[in-house]
Amino acid sequence: MAKPSTETTFDSRPVSRRHFLGAAAGGAAGLTGILAAGRAPATAQAKELTFLTVASFVPATDTELKRQLDEWGAKNKVKVRLDIIAHLQLVTKKAAEVQSRSGHDLTALGPGLGDADLYFDHLADLNDVATDVAPKNGGWLNENDYLIRGKWKLLPWWMPPFPMAVRTDLLEQLGEKNPDTWEDWLRIGKKGKAIGHPLGIALGHSADANVTLLSILWSYGGSYVSKDGSTITINSKQTRQAMDFVKRLYTEAMDPEVLAWDDASNNRCLNAGKCIGIHNPISAYESAKKDKVTVPGKTQQIAEVIDHVNTPKGPVDRKATTGYWCVGVWNFSKNVELAKDFLRYHFQPENQARWVEAGHGFNMPFLANLTKHPVYKSDKQYRFIPEVAKVTVPPSWPGPTTAASQQVLDLYIIPDMFAQYATGKMTVDQAIAWGEKEMQEIYAGRRRKT
Amino acid sequence: MSSLGRWARRSRPVFTVYMPTMRFVFFALFPLYFMLVTSFKTNAEMYDVNSVPFWIGRGVTFGHYELLSKETYFWSWFVNSLMVSVAASLISVVLGVLAAYPLARLKFPGAESFGVAIFITYLVPPSLLFLPLSTVVNRLGLSDSLWALVVTYPTFLVPFCTWLLMGYFRTVPKEIEECAMLDGCNRLQTLIRILLPVAVPGVICAALFAFTLSWNEFLYALVFVSPAELKTLTVGVFSELIRGDVYYWGGLMAGACVGSFPIVIAYVFFLDYYVSGLTAGAVK
Repeated sequence: MAKPSTETTFDSRPVSRRHFLGAAAGGAAGLTGILAAGRAPATAQAKELTFLTVASFVPATDTELKRQLDEWGAKNKVKVRLDIIAHLQLVTKKAAEVQSRSGHDLTALGPGLGDADLYFDHLADLNDVATDVAPKNGGWLNENDYLIRGKWKLLPWWMPPFPMAVRTDLLEQLGEKNPDTWEDWLRIGKKGKAIGHPLGIALGHSADANVTLLSILWSYGGSYVSKDGSTITINSKQTRQAMDFVKRLYTEAMDPEVLAWDDASNNRCLNAGKCIGIHNPISAYESAKKDKVTVPGKTQQIAEVIDHVNTPKGPVDRKATTGYWCVGVWNFSKNVELAKDFLRYHFQPENQARWVEAGHGFNMPFLANLTKHPVYKSDKQYRFIPEVAKVTVPPSWPGPTTAASQQVLDLYIIPDMFAQYATGKMTVDQAIAWGEKEMQEIYAGRRRKT
Repeated sequence: MSSLGRWARRSRPVFTVYMPTMRFVFFALFPLYFMLVTSFKTNAEMYDVNSVPFWIGRGVTFGHYELLSKETYFWSWFVNSLMVSVAASLISVVLGVLAAYPLARLKFPGAESFGVAIFITYLVPPSLLFLPLSTVVNRLGLSDSLWALVVTYPTFLVPFCTWLLMGYFRTVPKEIEECAMLDGCNRLQTLIRILLPVAVPGVICAALFAFTLSWNEFLYALVFVSPAELKTLTVGVFSELIRGDVYYWGGLMAGACVGSFPIVIAYVFFLDYYVSGLTAGAVK
């Protein structure tokens, strides 16, 4: 949130009320001329590289990114501008830029790799950049996941891995130790609920709900689309087992409020001292630390009694997913090569290292060497983040990421399917049949004509 | 009259007017009150499930206002919103007057259909319009400038102002305009010297509505303007104070409180005009 320095030479356009008012006088006449000409007026010829990104949970991350952009601009004598918006606004902004085929040169994409398929025809190929940056950083974590239709249409940029946050004081009170499996969490959640501290797993329309429910589905051996990217596999014995488990979790270990949760709700529940555990990146812990939130009725800070453990294991597997934040270059940009050059600069190991450090490890790159960054050893809370990253897969796993897989997430089909059964509105077969039909329609509608 | 009778007469409005009205006043003011209280609470108190959410129990903090002022472009956003709203409202009211007058007064083929067509354009939601408009804004070379908003806001303000003013102009007796014309005024002079002074409440009502709609507008401001320092209040506060799954509730509420002041002040000064402008033509 840090206000960008006004001293920088390469900052964005100047703000001047006087200029605005002065321009107002001639505006009407000028507008007529512009309309008659049918094209934008000639502007300064100096090159300008613009970058649209989303506000990071850790403001220092954005400050470091801006520093790198400014530094690169100074070296290359290019005017630069970093625009930051809330992640919820990105979808609208991308749609408008693609529609008008103008806007920023570089853009954040996501959450999810689906943008690469959705905007395939509007994104520049980044094969050369991806090939250049990988060897310097120990290679990409899972290269094949990021190739969309066999091409690098975006670079996977950062992810916030999902460990489990747990209240250690409550565990002690219940005579429990750090849990490791989903069954452990169910047991602890039941005991916690009995003393007024339920488990907090979102079952509403939120990114967290998609992430956690997919993790549970996979941990029972289920999936919703097969490797071929077209066969819907949700109707399976494994899905039924996962849904039975979530129903137990909901009825025995949680409060009904989880049905209406957004992405911030579980953070609030943990920091307010209510929830015994949540499945979330480290943001809740970091806010509790920053805001000096105390345990209800005590003077002890709640951050001191929070620990983070690995994403839970199920009977079959331990898997998780998360928001895959990516970066791409619009092919209608006039500065494609400059944009690529900046990406090469930003992905240099030392720049990546400084950027990860600024983010307190919240923003983990998809590059092997960066998972070993010292920041993950700087705080006991971060120790499992590299472990979680190792088992993190794209949400469409084992199927490829496509516009259809992204739509399944965006329409919250998985949370709705689980919630309808958990709340007793549908039987397990009805809920699965509903989910299967929705997914089949999405995949049929999105199938490319080749 | 006995003293009891006098007391009953004096206190009757308390039971027949004030007490019934209080419910609505409470209903209307509660969100503002809640915003204000939250904007002065510490983050730690906001998280505390045992604290009473309706007042401040653990001391007042000005930290959220400080955060807005020192760590964001809040005051730039405020001024940007003000400039855009005033400019767009002025343009829209002028165009609205010029469009409403002929539609309300002149008889020409299609006058009725024009009126309806203008109203229908008001019904087209901005969520549909922003995509084609982004192409227009780009062709005009106005992207990432406040002019983009000054030019696009009248697309929804002019139809609204026109429709509202048409209704108001129709309530003004034709005869006074005819008298002016007999005395030598032309149409424009009649409009400026006779009709507009009479229609001040309607014009102020249209201006107030236009200002409020511009002030609260979100989508176009988000799509057409990107640089942080050029954002309007609605977009700036949202962009800077919602970071992933962390919401800066105190800052958001502080921003909303300060952002409400211009609207509150405008309505306080022009409330009478506003009410008479809205209700004109309701009873003939």
